Amino acid sequence: MAAQDTCDLTQPYRPYGAEIKETRPYSPCRAACPAHTDVQAYVGLIAQGRYTEAFEVITAPNPIASVCSMICHHPCERSCRRCGIDEAVAVRPLKRFAIEQAKEYRRNKRKLVAQNKGKSVGIIGSGPSGLTAARDMADLGYSVTLYERHPVLGGMLSTAIPPYRLPREVLKEDIDDVVSRGIEVKTGFEVGKDAKLDDLAKKHDAILLAIGLSLSRSLNIPGVDGPNVLLAIPFLEDVAFGRDPKLGKKVLVIGGGNVAMDVARSARRLGVEKVEMVCLENEQEIPAWKWEVDEAVEEAVKINYRWGPKAVKRDGDKVLGLEVTKVLSVFDGNKRFAPTFDNNVTTLLEADTIIITIGQMANLAPLKDSSVKADERGRVEWDQKTQKSSAKNVFVAGEVVTGPGSAIAAVASGHRAALAMHLFLQGETIEGKLPVQEKDSINEMPKDVLEKICKMPRQKVHHVEPAVRVKTMDNFEKTYTEKEALAEASRCRGCGGGAVVDPNKCMACLTCLRVCPYGAPVVKAWSEIRPDYCQACGLCAPECPAQAISMVSYDVKEIRGSMTTTVGCVDSKRTEPLIVAFVCTNRLGVHGADLPKNYRPFPVHCTSRVDVLDMLRAFETGADGVAVVRCGDRNCKYEKIEPRVQARVKRGQELIKTLGMEPDRIGILPAASSCGEFSELVKKMGLRVK
Amino acid sequence: MIVGSQKPIDEIWNMVKDKDKKKVLVFGCNTCVAICHAGGEKEAETIASLLRMKASQEGKQMEVSHMGVMRHCEPEYFDNVIEDVKKYDMVVSTACGVGVNFLSDRTGTVPVVPGINTSFYGAVEAPGVFKELCAGCGDCILHLTGGICPIARCAKTLMNGPCGGTNKGKCEVSNEIDCAWYLIVERMTKLGQLDKLGTVLPPRNWATSRDGGPRRISLEHIREFEEKEEAKAGK
Amino acid sequence: MKSGSTLEKVLASGKPAVTAELGPPMSADPHEVVHKAKLLKGFCDAANITDCQTAVVRISSIAAAAIAFQNGLEPVMQMTCRDRNRIAMQADLLGAAALGLKNCLCLAGDHQKFSAAGKLKGHPGAKNVYDLDTCQLVGMLKKMRDESKQEGGDPLEVAPKFFIGASWTPMGDPIDFRPINLMKKVNAGADFIQTQGIYDMSLFRKQMEKIRNMGLHEKTAILAGIIVPKSAMMLKYMDSSVAGVSVPKEMIDRMNKAKSAAGEDKKKMRELQEQEGIKITIELIHQALETPGVKGVHIQAIEWESAIEGIVKAAGLYPRPEV
Repeated sequence: MAAQDTCDLTQPYRPYGAEIKETRPYSPCRAACPAHTDVQAYVGLIAQGRYTEAFEVITAPNPIASVCSMICHHPCERSCRRCGIDEAVAVRPLKRFAIEQAKEYRRNKRKLVAQNKGKSVGIIGSGPSGLTAARDMADLGYSVTLYERHPVLGGMLSTAIPPYRLPREVLKEDIDDVVSRGIEVKTGFEVGKDAKLDDLAKKHDAILLAIGLSLSRSLNIPGVDGPNVLLAIPFLEDVAFGRDPKLGKKVLVIGGGNVAMDVARSARRLGVEKVEMVCLENEQEIPAWKWEVDEAVEEAVKINYRWGPKAVKRDGDKVLGLEVTKVLSVFDGNKRFAPTFDNNVTTLLEADTIIITIGQMANLAPLKDSSVKADERGRVEWDQKTQKSSAKNVFVAGEVVTGPGSAIAAVASGHRAALAMHLFLQGETIEGKLPVQEKDSINEMPKDVLEKICKMPRQKVHHVEPAVRVKTMDNFEKTYTEKEALAEASRCRGCGGGAVVDPNKCMACLTCLRVCPYGAPVVKAWSEIRPDYCQACGLCAPECPAQAISMVSYDVKEIRGSMTTTVGCVDSKRTEPLIVAFVCTNRLGVHGADLPKNYRPFPVHCTSRVDVLDMLRAFETGADGVAVVRCGDRNCKYEKIEPRVQARVKRGQELIKTLGMEPDRIGILPAASSCGEFSELVKKMGLRVK
Repeated sequence: MIVGSQKPIDEIWNMVKDKDKKKVLVFGCNTCVAICHAGGEKEAETIASLLRMKASQEGKQMEVSHMGVMRHCEPEYFDNVIEDVKKYDMVVSTACGVGVNFLSDRTGTVPVVPGINTSFYGAVEAPGVFKELCAGCGDCILHLTGGICPIARCAKTLMNGPCGGTNKGKCEVSNEIDCAWYLIVERMTKLGQLDKLGTVLPPRNWATSRDGGPRRISLEHIREFEEKEEAKAGK
Repeated sequence: MKSGSTLEKVLASGKPAVTAELGPPMSADPHEVVHKAKLLKGFCDAANITDCQTAVVRISSIAAAAIAFQNGLEPVMQMTCRDRNRIAMQADLLGAAALGLKNCLCLAGDHQKFSAAGKLKGHPGAKNVYDLDTCQLVGMLKKMRDESKQEGGDPLEVAPKFFIGASWTPMGDPIDFRPINLMKKVNAGADFIQTQGIYDMSLFRKQMEKIRNMGLHEKTAILAGIIVPKSAMMLKYMDSSVAGVSVPKEMIDRMNKAKSAAGEDKKKMRELQEQEGIKITIELIHQALETPGVKGVHIQAIEWESAIEGIVKAAGLYPRPEV
């Protein structure tokens, strides 16, 4: 597909069916994504081998898509309806695969955006929310300046996330995408020191404060002050910039969050053999993601659960260890953080280096002597409805106001802030115009539908062995091979990408109801195909006599629309028959099919979507034969497809017969391996003269 | 509903093949004939596709499009497309005969030809199986025959019992057709009303049926109201 | 007397009546009718002149009946509901009466589909009429005769005096309804009834018992239909394919036995079967006439009119009474 000339914030790349999707409940994966990435759409596109389009869908709402493809905590996967069957679709690894496939495309696509609004915006902080807002504002035609305290852009992504999780060249791709729009970058620029905030607010028409939470919190316990007790952020910054922080032989990390995991695992990679962690929580309560815990344990990090830090035991500058008290409980009856201790049970966790990783807070130095107010607890005052601070033209976004969260949540916040600034700069009221974060989501899969879905194991993501990976700061996760990616993508049940009825055309004839294997349609005055039941197989759409049903995602009509271009000009001197093949992408995969050269493949989500009209259209465009290449019933991820496909092929055969053509020019092939044989069969019937 | 079945493509081709017919519209109706998979928008597209290929085979330059509206028998349903329809040289309507007639009256000089055969008033006995159950005779006697119509369902429209051709419950015309009177007797026996069938029904008045000439029903209370409204609007 | 026809008179005399059947030719040649009439004359009280039987176009029943009548054979004209509406029917009935015809059998008529059988193209695409059904036709005829009125109510100065008949399939489906069916025809005005061919005499007798219980045998004259069997094949066909006809297995066996007695001789095979068929016919006639409520027999020797003489004589029904 062609890159778009101008990117308007209100009109990013829209996958097929995007308009309809906005009017319906989101797929659970999309609803769960803070940026509402249309996961179903891009996974579907990957399944068809349409990687650049998948890339467009991925990046449309997310300027740090490459980053997310490595580090996102993927709430999409947790909400995946496949969880009720076997395991979630591996969304993040698929995203990584698609983005890597689109590398060249993405680089060629970068270009300046005209700054035609005549107004400028200063963005302080270049983390996820700052980058997002910068891209949005640039795309809207504002001139944008990014102010970054550090020598590189990316905020915590470059300064705190260890490279083994996020290779810097990956981050660079995202940053280059944003900056290439013509954004002025001022790195090593400390607001408050190099320029006053209020002065910047005068220089620019609007300012965005996206400074994140860049200071580590410390503990108020005896012995904490002094050498060999470190704080997380400075430690991680040292790691990020390769400054090789001095560590002892036995490191103890205090904290059980994801940053604590980064610290501990980085320490392992700095050559420390003995790395332990201590946290208040037990294994279930620990706030770090389960996979982080598992991977840390694989890397021989020992976690001491349910101990509270009491005092750092030291001998002068030398640290001996941490005295800890047994934790009785962490949360009270209302699930609020309120730890209780058994002061009679204490122990000493031996360590010569202690790193405190118990949370972050904002560095409010840039606000000093400015009109932006902060409260007594050090939080910037802001209005959630407008993203505005107490100063007239200073907006806020990201963790500095939302509190600690994920990168993708900061992206969502960045979008909101950008829209708020845009409205402000255009003299419009902001209140009520910012999008609602919570979206309606498709319900859980009904039990009777679950029972009809066959299990398909999740494609394993391969890691470098723990013993090897702890030796370097290199990323240890392997990208899916194409075969793996196609197999994984075809596990998606297409939630929200299924059938939708146009009530202006539907006359409630019950055909869809009779056809659907999952009981999705409810027919009253017109048919309503319930998205929680619909499995997006597409069996109903070609059956609808009023053409009232379309598929939200990868619609059948799209096949017919693209037939002429895909078939192309039919060479009248050809010696081999030209065959249009509708290829089921399930397991077979688009590229996996490896069709002969005289085949023109149309990858379909399922051959149930192939209409008699598609077969006819193929002959109209000059094809000599039509092959419906099925994945085979044993592999089919849907129910009751085969007999209907056969019936359609039979009808197609009858129809071409009325035109004097041999019915056998249309065939169902059980596998791509039969393509040659079918080609020979068609050849015997002769090549058609149009 | 009205049940129809598609005409063979050669028959339709013979209607549209004239040299001066360069732009042809296959116009579907999305109600009854769509339900029986004969003439809805989808089948209109099927016919359009076949016609395009036929034209190509015959070496004739012809542009064939398709379209569909909810119903061809109420003008409001095609009012907003009728001007587009008139831009074609010919319209193949895949509506029932009602639709073809009705549309013909409204396309000016553009001829409308039938793409399907209108067969009967029927029901969906099973998906893909349609069965004639009413003949629209205009004088219903179903209360006398256990809800089974001898006019529509007996090959001889017999009113007073079966002929001698009933064979194992099937009609003499075909063993795929149920003998309506066999069913009536069975049903009336079940209803405990067999005695009702003992009465000789006199010759019926076929004037209520097609034999009385084309029929028209005019509901005065609705018509008068509409006329008044129109008159008001006219002022 | 309602009509003064010979058939009516024979029945009134209490003697068993005999009717036969004459099929008009598929041509405009009257000689075949004359020939067949001569074969039947004297061996029956009246002969049915079929009305385009199996929907095949032939000389019309009325015209053929008139020819037969002129040649001394009393005809029973037939009228089906298939081909005429009530206007044509009444016009034809008036005409038939004017020609001197006195008996009329009312029938639904075979469906036009049957016209395309064997080598015949027929007219399966003809439109059938069925303005009236059999009961209604009987009723109309009765109204014309007894009330001197057309169906629509207009007066008839001279009423057609017909002895009105109707057909009945005693053993057709649904069998329990068949007596009611007969009752309707009788109530509509049928003076006599000719039944579908009967081979299964015991089943027929069961139906007749019901008829007697309903008293219908007193209100109408029932003539049992006997179709002369020609071969085992014909009996098998009648059993399996003709609606309302069942043939006992023993009868088919008997015919087969006659057939096998001929060895390989085809001609003899036919002759022996025909002889056996005539024997069976005579037995059936006797059994039918012994059945209480039966007033006569209707013997159909399809395209075999020459057999009637022998059958009637052998059955002891010759000579026919002078009335």
